[in-house]
Amino acid sequence: MDVILNQIFAGLSMASILLMIALGLAIIYGAMGVINLAHGEFVMLGAYAAWALQTYAGFSIIVALPFVFLAVASVGWIIERVIVQRLYHRPLDTILATWGIGIVLQQLVRLFVGAESRFVKGPEILSGNIEIGGLIMSNYRIFVIVFSLAILAASWALMTRTEFGMKLRAVIQNRQISECYGIEAKHIYSITFAYGAGLAGIAGALITPLFSTIPTMGTGLVVDAFLVVIVGGLGSLLGAATASVLIGEATALFSMLLNDTLGRIAVLAGIIVLIRFRPKGLFPSNTRR
Amino acid sequence: MAQLQVTDLHVDFGGLRAVDGLSFNVNEGEILCLLGPNGAGKSTTLDLICGKTQPTSGSIRFEGTDISQLLEFRRARLGIGRKFQVPSVYKELTVAENLSVARSRSPGIWHALTRFSLSDGRVAAPILERVGLEARASEIAGNLSHGETQWLEIAMLIAQDSRLILMDEPTAGMTIQETARTAEIFRSLSTSHTLIVVEHDMSFVRTVADRIVVMNRGAMLAEGTIEEIETNDDVKTAYLGH
Amino acid sequence: MTTKLFYDLFALAVFAVVIVVGVPFLMGFDGFELNTFARYLALGIVSLALALSWGSAGLLNLGQAATFGMGSYAMAMHLKLKASGDALPDFMGWNNVPELPLIWIPFHSLGFTLLAGLLVPAFVGGLIAMFMFRARIAGVFVAIITLAFLVAFQLVVIEQQGITGGQNGLTGLAPLSLLGWSVDTYDVSFYYLVAGCLMAAITVGLYLTHSKFGLILRAIREDADRTRFFGYNVANYQTVIFCISAALAGWAGMLYTLVLEFASPTYMSVSFSLAIVIWCAVGGRDSVIAAAIGAIIVNLLEGRLSDVFVEGWNLMLGVIFVLVVMFIPRGLHGLIGDLWKALNNQSHKQRANEAEPKLQPQPVKSGQEK
Repeated sequence: MDVILNQIFAGLSMASILLMIALGLAIIYGAMGVINLAHGEFVMLGAYAAWALQTYAGFSIIVALPFVFLAVASVGWIIERVIVQRLYHRPLDTILATWGIGIVLQQLVRLFVGAESRFVKGPEILSGNIEIGGLIMSNYRIFVIVFSLAILAASWALMTRTEFGMKLRAVIQNRQISECYGIEAKHIYSITFAYGAGLAGIAGALITPLFSTIPTMGTGLVVDAFLVVIVGGLGSLLGAATASVLIGEATALFSMLLNDTLGRIAVLAGIIVLIRFRPKGLFPSNTRR
Repeated sequence: MAQLQVTDLHVDFGGLRAVDGLSFNVNEGEILCLLGPNGAGKSTTLDLICGKTQPTSGSIRFEGTDISQLLEFRRARLGIGRKFQVPSVYKELTVAENLSVARSRSPGIWHALTRFSLSDGRVAAPILERVGLEARASEIAGNLSHGETQWLEIAMLIAQDSRLILMDEPTAGMTIQETARTAEIFRSLSTSHTLIVVEHDMSFVRTVADRIVVMNRGAMLAEGTIEEIETNDDVKTAYLGH
Repeated sequence: MTTKLFYDLFALAVFAVVIVVGVPFLMGFDGFELNTFARYLALGIVSLALALSWGSAGLLNLGQAATFGMGSYAMAMHLKLKASGDALPDFMGWNNVPELPLIWIPFHSLGFTLLAGLLVPAFVGGLIAMFMFRARIAGVFVAIITLAFLVAFQLVVIEQQGITGGQNGLTGLAPLSLLGWSVDTYDVSFYYLVAGCLMAAITVGLYLTHSKFGLILRAIREDADRTRFFGYNVANYQTVIFCISAALAGWAGMLYTLVLEFASPTYMSVSFSLAIVIWCAVGGRDSVIAAAIGAIIVNLLEGRLSDVFVEGWNLMLGVIFVLVVMFIPRGLHGLIGDLWKALNNQSHKQRANEAEPKLQPQPVKSGQEK
């Protein structure tokens, strides 16, 4: 029983990390149909930014979050302006270009920071565990779960409750007409991309105490996050949330029943089958594109 | 027996009844014109016959076989060809290559693997001459004008040589001379093909139609020759709104 | 069409002369240098295999490395058995595998190995293709599914240590003996074997792209729905090109194992798959020859430059790739094609000017208002 509860918690913890990474991706994909394979590198940049702030300025992760967000968002903004913006009409090419950008970012970090693993301390207030019977939950992981839900809520509010969100949805539905009404689609896209990148940065900063911070850390994460987005459905925030819980828990479950590798294989196979039969994901947006 | 029998056809698009209890027959070798106001379900009817859309209920029989559940390529192989409202040619291929793709009497892979596309050139030349594109055979189709693109798609349907050809607004964007020429081609096609034509240009309809079906709100409103339709009160009401 | 065929055959002839005569001459018939170059040629085959599915049919297969890996493991299994003689391959002993697994037994035969290296990838590629294309999966979803398959497949290979050698792959291989000829990979003759394979693969690719099959694929790439209404079974066409592409990738994998004398799960990594995409994009995905040349050029540069800038090379490769995607999406092939056209137009204009000087009212230009 305890084993199962602990696995469920491990699954939730993984789901919350997946969710934070996938949210940015889902927003970018949903808004502009760009499959951003550099997203994993945005996560990596966030992790390194948190490391740098802690090492050189003594910031705890939580204090560093806003700075990390701004830093990675500006990197995303520049990349959108210089590269991605030119490729909107060529979706397959955006996959390739962002993949290339990913390599470049990874190599830059490797060159200037080094390839060795970096260590970031978790915040002191959140050290320790909560124990309920045999269920042991680390405070930090609980914090990450709560924080990911908060980001989900904030992003949802941004998309549906603000003027920016309204403009964004207008541009998604019909770019030409929106431009006729004076909405600057280019601007909206840049900001959206930057926001998605910033979220990835936050995710990166938050996972530093849980993962080793190395230049290649993003590569594995992006594939998973992408699967979350596709399973969840095109750009659906709720879908992304459900899919990350599903995938997180499924991974935890299969890992318990089989082993880590076989668990991952089983989840990948399941996802492939799911995409085959529901290519629009679990929560397809019902607007015509 | 009629070549095409459409019986009690229904299709729903998320609550919207685009086609609602439509029945009609088409005889071999005739030109049937589908008329009706915008949104009457004319293009949807063509979509249902060629397999682009699946009916919610009802049957479509072509030369005796029920085709309403077949995939579109199976229907094409049975002998149904389609020209789309927005001219759908391959813009990255040359005019001659477009015709070669359209000439699909043997659509199998083995056949395609053992043929070179240039061997279709002999067949392409007379067809291109017929629509006046003979000088542009090696032009990339994307460089053609709108009118020429229409001609090219018509030429592709001639090359496909289907027994039943569905034409969705074939004369849209054509000059009067071009329209007249299209009418001529259609008349000559009808000796060996059956045509269903959706068209708004009444003078064109008058020249080519053997029979007319008028649709309104997804169902048949009237059927008959051009004279019968022009004097039909229901049709007047549907168009004028009284 | 005929001019295009002529142009391709001409390019093939030039390429063949360069590879068969030029390169060995430049390398001074040095076995070691030619071995390195043979590696590039083998990678040229997998790049052209991708050009067949991505360029001709528009199906971006990000899992090409998986089928490449299958070929390379097939060859490695045969050579490992040969090296082990009657004993069990060494790594199986380390993994407490009691006897030779069933799936290894037929690899004693070279004929079976060669067939398996082609047919296993083709079969697996075909299964995935049928799975996707029957459901009319297209565009980015093809890329994502094949990528997910690749990740899963590599995990399986690493996981099944007892059968595949796990993370270490298959090492300590015997040399291949082909019809009594013991292949020395540092000999000029081995270079010619690989070069011959590349030429054969290009010929297959050219045949496919110039046949009506290739034309139908281009039609499908542009508008799959329209093509269905002409009676073509689009899913079958896509499946067949996926199979052929996978078989060619397997073939390249077999050669690659011969060159490097080991097989490793890194051949099935996401980054290797990406590398294949880069080569193909740099050369030009519309032409099988250009795709092969792309692989050779990028790897040649990598071989020369990665010693000079160890970390910098990957950075440069990333930058080059982004620039290629942005500014020359059709690769070097497209770039040369555009330049050629521009030159032709220029000379046409000149000829027209020379031919009809009387019809050109000369003073008009200077008299035009500014």
